[in-house]
Amino acid sequence: MPSNRPGSSGSSPKKKPSTTAAAKKKSSSSERFAERQAAKQQAAQQARRARTRAYGIAAIALVVLVVGALVIVKVAGGGSGSGTVDQASPPAGTPIPAATLTHLQSVPISTFTAAPTSGIITTPQSVNDPALTADGKPDLLYIGAEFCPHCAAERWPLYLALTKFGTFSPDPGKIHSANEDGDVPTFTFYGTTYSSPYFTFTPVEATTNKPDGSGGYTVLQTPTQAQLTLWQDTNGGSFPFVDFGGKVVLPSAQYSFVPLQNLPFSAVAAQVGQNSTQIGADIGASAAQLISTICTSLSHDQPAAVCSAVHGG
Amino acid sequence: MVASVAGLGVAGYLTYEHFTSSSTLACSDNSVVNCLKVTTSSYSSVAGVPVAVLGLVFFAVMLVLQLPPMWRRPEPAVRIGRLAWAVVGLGTVLYLLYAELFSIDAICLWCTAVHVLTLVLFGTTVYATSAYPVLEDVDA
Repeated sequence: MPSNRPGSSGSSPKKKPSTTAAAKKKSSSSERFAERQAAKQQAAQQARRARTRAYGIAAIALVVLVVGALVIVKVAGGGSGSGTVDQASPPAGTPIPAATLTHLQSVPISTFTAAPTSGIITTPQSVNDPALTADGKPDLLYIGAEFCPHCAAERWPLYLALTKFGTFSPDPGKIHSANEDGDVPTFTFYGTTYSSPYFTFTPVEATTNKPDGSGGYTVLQTPTQAQLTLWQDTNGGSFPFVDFGGKVVLPSAQYSFVPLQNLPFSAVAAQVGQNSTQIGADIGASAAQLISTICTSLSHDQPAAVCSAVHGG
Repeated sequence: MVASVAGLGVAGYLTYEHFTSSSTLACSDNSVVNCLKVTTSSYSSVAGVPVAVLGLVFFAVMLVLQLPPMWRRPEPAVRIGRLAWAVVGLGTVLYLLYAELFSIDAICLWCTAVHVLTLVLFGTTVYATSAYPVLEDVDA
């Protein structure tokens, strides 16, 4: 190994003329040593960089592989969390206790009209569509889906409003929106018949809350071509959609379903009529709007007791 | 930097949609590509904080970390911090992708755009960090 220690160059101290040459030789040796050292360091540095770069590329490749594997497993029909959805709930729902229905139907309209409206986000909107009728009466068309949490929220005020103008037979059952879609307790209008002297009610629950295994939900009811056209032309085919005889439409839910998430049906029902709670206020204020809309667009302000109550007459 | 700006834009849109628009009170159709189903699912927020807001924060911080002056800084804290932030983004994307594919059973194309941008950021950050000389190399 080369050394740069003084006197270690091997030259004789007696040969003074050769001192310069020795110094040159020594200097040259030091330079070669420095060059070799630099080359070694550079090589080590390059190797280190190459190694780091290889790690980086490997990490990127690993991520691409993981993402690709997830997609391939899904496309190949791998696991799905959809099996956790309420399989026990029959399409027409489970019966609601009579006492609960009596409570819901007995809340005075004045309570609804007094409810704070701060939670109301969407209000019914006037339209100029051809008259929507069925059996010679103005028709109230509702298109929703059992998986849909917004429909779940909207059915509460819709049920309350409808019971002021007519009766259901049998009464709607209770369900909840799909687990991965909010798990909101609600009614289902599927399997019910509504009768009113003033208008008809046509509910269409497009799907159940049960996954069909391909990313959607099993079909329950199919809208007629006329309903489909009206629905898609008015709000692009999203749920819920309510059309009040072609005069007024509600293109989405009136209030947020979030406060209702994961609650039992009875807990929400108990808050109906309590304007001091967010849920009670949202449902009550929404019901007041729907009753008012039905009075003006479908029932010709009948029955007078209902419509005068909501209009403050 | 371009990916950070794009991600900031998309995350900003998703955040805006989360807090406004009555159209969010409606469920979209019954198909696999269904943004409303994804953005209103239980996976759309973590501890009450909307995921869209978390995305906005992620891209805002990443934008700062991707600025040229930040790349010129040799401190290990900056280099490792940027890499760690990219890994956090990657982990979140993998979790949300798994949730979309296997729990929600729907895909939101806006969310997918955010996921792709996050993956691009991860890839470029990892590559650039490994390709640029580390501090000890600069000193050497």
